[in-house]
Amino acid sequence: MKSKKQQIYKPKPSLPSLVPPWLAGVLSAILPGLGQAFARQIRRGILILFSFATIIGLLVWRFRLAAPRDTGFMNIVNKAIYLQPLLTGITVVVGLLYLANIYDAVKLATIAGKPEKSKPFLIFIMLILAFFLLGWQIGQIDLYTLTTSFGDAGPALSRVLWPWSRAISFPEDTWRGIAVLETPCSDNPPPPTATLEDRPYLVVDPTCGEPTIQQATDNSGVEIIPGTTLEVKGYNFVPGVVVDLWWIDPATSQFRQRQEGQNVNVIPDENGEFTIDIIWPYRIIPPSYREGVSEWELQGRQITNVGDWEFSAEFNLAVEKMVETIFIGMMATFFGIILSLPFSFLAARNLMSANSFMLGIYYLVRLILNIIRSIEPLIWAILAVIIVGLGPWAGIIALTIHSIAALGKLYSEAIESINSGPIEAITATGANWFQIIVYGVIPQVIPPFVSFTIYRWDINIRMSTIIGLVGGGGIGYLLTQWIRVLDYRAAGIAVWFIALTVAILDYVSAAIRERFT
Amino acid sequence: MLEIRNLTKIYEDGTLAVDNVSFTVPDGEFLIVIGLSGSGKSTLLRCINRLIDPTEGEILWNGVDLAKLEGDDLRKARRKIGMIFQHFNLVSRSSVMINILAGRLGYARTWPTLLHQFSKKDREKAWDILRRMDIEDQAMKLARELSGGQQQRVGISRALMQDPEMILADEPVASLDPVLAHSILNYLEKLNKEDKLTIICSLHYLDLVQRYATRVVGLRAGKLVYEGTREDIRKMTDEEFKSIYGEEAERITDGIEGALERSELQ
Repeated sequence: MKSKKQQIYKPKPSLPSLVPPWLAGVLSAILPGLGQAFARQIRRGILILFSFATIIGLLVWRFRLAAPRDTGFMNIVNKAIYLQPLLTGITVVVGLLYLANIYDAVKLATIAGKPEKSKPFLIFIMLILAFFLLGWQIGQIDLYTLTTSFGDAGPALSRVLWPWSRAISFPEDTWRGIAVLETPCSDNPPPPTATLEDRPYLVVDPTCGEPTIQQATDNSGVEIIPGTTLEVKGYNFVPGVVVDLWWIDPATSQFRQRQEGQNVNVIPDENGEFTIDIIWPYRIIPPSYREGVSEWELQGRQITNVGDWEFSAEFNLAVEKMVETIFIGMMATFFGIILSLPFSFLAARNLMSANSFMLGIYYLVRLILNIIRSIEPLIWAILAVIIVGLGPWAGIIALTIHSIAALGKLYSEAIESINSGPIEAITATGANWFQIIVYGVIPQVIPPFVSFTIYRWDINIRMSTIIGLVGGGGIGYLLTQWIRVLDYRAAGIAVWFIALTVAILDYVSAAIRERFT
Repeated sequence: MLEIRNLTKIYEDGTLAVDNVSFTVPDGEFLIVIGLSGSGKSTLLRCINRLIDPTEGEILWNGVDLAKLEGDDLRKARRKIGMIFQHFNLVSRSSVMINILAGRLGYARTWPTLLHQFSKKDREKAWDILRRMDIEDQAMKLARELSGGQQQRVGISRALMQDPEMILADEPVASLDPVLAHSILNYLEKLNKEDKLTIICSLHYLDLVQRYATRVVGLRAGKLVYEGTREDIRKMTDEEFKSIYGEEAERITDGIEGALERSELQ
């Protein structure tokens, strides 16, 4: 081993090159690194060969990916360079790398056997540059779009950052003013609506007429015969609040009055009155309702706020789910502590090195903890959702599993780093293993345990917002839904709650940790 | 009587810490082990109560070979051997009282002790010892709040709770100033004279050795290189001195303290 190490740092200066410098250059031109190998720098040669092969391989892949439908070498190259100009730059750098490799081989062969040393700076720089440019190209890095389209995120961002208009709402009530019309006009048309006190009503003139009709024409077009023009007067509406006009046809289905492609609405004056002319609209009505005289109803509807503001449904839901989230984190931490404690003592080397059996348990527990810990809680959550279904319980299971592994490791390391003196002293009194743990180990590990536990609680609450993404309950679940329906204000409320909770928790955990250390 | 025969300890990394050491300690002896740092004093003491398992050799104590004991037998033997340490080895976050009661763990039933429950007798015993050690008013403080001298007295109290027949003291005064060192060794001497406890103590300062030891053994590189009484120490020749502390050590004056200062520097 030792001689090998020396070889790395001190290339043997005694051996001269096997080939003259020009031949080394030619060899490296044929196969990068070959010249270096013949100049007695086999390791460097191998390194150069492998890096060069890797870069060429990546470059070929990128060229083919850029022009997947083309065949023929030149076609692919032309198309790829046209679509991805950066590939030209990479090709140039690879060319320079190739030249640097030849230069390096010549130089190495020249100085081989002399005490001089040559470090492959040029090759190194070209390698870094090539990998950097490849990374840029593979990563599809696009600073132009990033900077020019930055403003596109503005609307969403501003809603997320200041979502509070969505946090409150006003209870609403619908006011209706009604008038009854008939078609076709009978001998006895309905009278104008009676005047009402305190409640809105509509007066329509005339009170009977014909709806708009569509008729097929000879040249297979459609002829529209407009219906009766109605003068609608509204009274007793709330001033300044929009009134929508709705029809209820003889088949009792509701639809809005539309004219020129727009829903018709009107704003009453300060007396709560308005006047508007509308054309009796076209409507397909089942034949059974068309026989004889049928009755239509016109409504003026006004949605008004009644009473004071209140928290919106979204706000209340966010509060509810935030509480749920905190408790998911808490329960997961709680179960995590209980279940990881036994593991932590088994995974502490200083307690488990008494004999080979205990050492075996130590390695086994360590292995299991490492495997569990290396699987993300998100994946545990997906598995838990399969078993127990959507909801907080799945989240608790996922976070508990991860907490056991993480806390088990942290706890066991805390145990491993305790002062062995007290343990020695307690052992010397004739105490058994359990007594040594209770009197020698536990008092020493309480501060780090408390600290790690609080930290874990902190992590679990932050993590439970993520667990919600896959259905593990809590506020993350809401957050994903709101983002998917583009309700950025509601999502913003959730984000604010998460941020506030994490900030408060951070402060609390720091305070608790301070007290225990 | 403690009889150590051909005791050898080789650590896993190959260090030979104690090399074929044999000596005998009659009951009631105040034996002081001297030697440079790393000469094997601590290992030797820890082999006696098996905090470290010896590689070879016998440790016969009242006819029982401690080196062969396992499990419950070992724990029962340990109960009778109190130990005090250079760094006191108290559980710093536990109260003084709990630290002292811990000395009783070998006697008490396991389950109550796991909940910090001790019998009334044990508690009274602890108070008696606290009074004897003049730290009664510190009982409810945390161990870490005490000064060094007080902590070592707690350490002695813990050892006394074991009703020991022998006390192993591993450089008990090395972390203390000279005045405290005398006071701690005075306690040990009292235990030795009044309670007839056998004491095996490792020390660095030869003036303390002269003052307290009834017998002295010297270790160098794990080997026993000196054995003598308190009087022998006073009459120690340069050769004997160098056999313990090495060729480079020099006795600057006739007094041993100066020589020690010198050897300590190395």
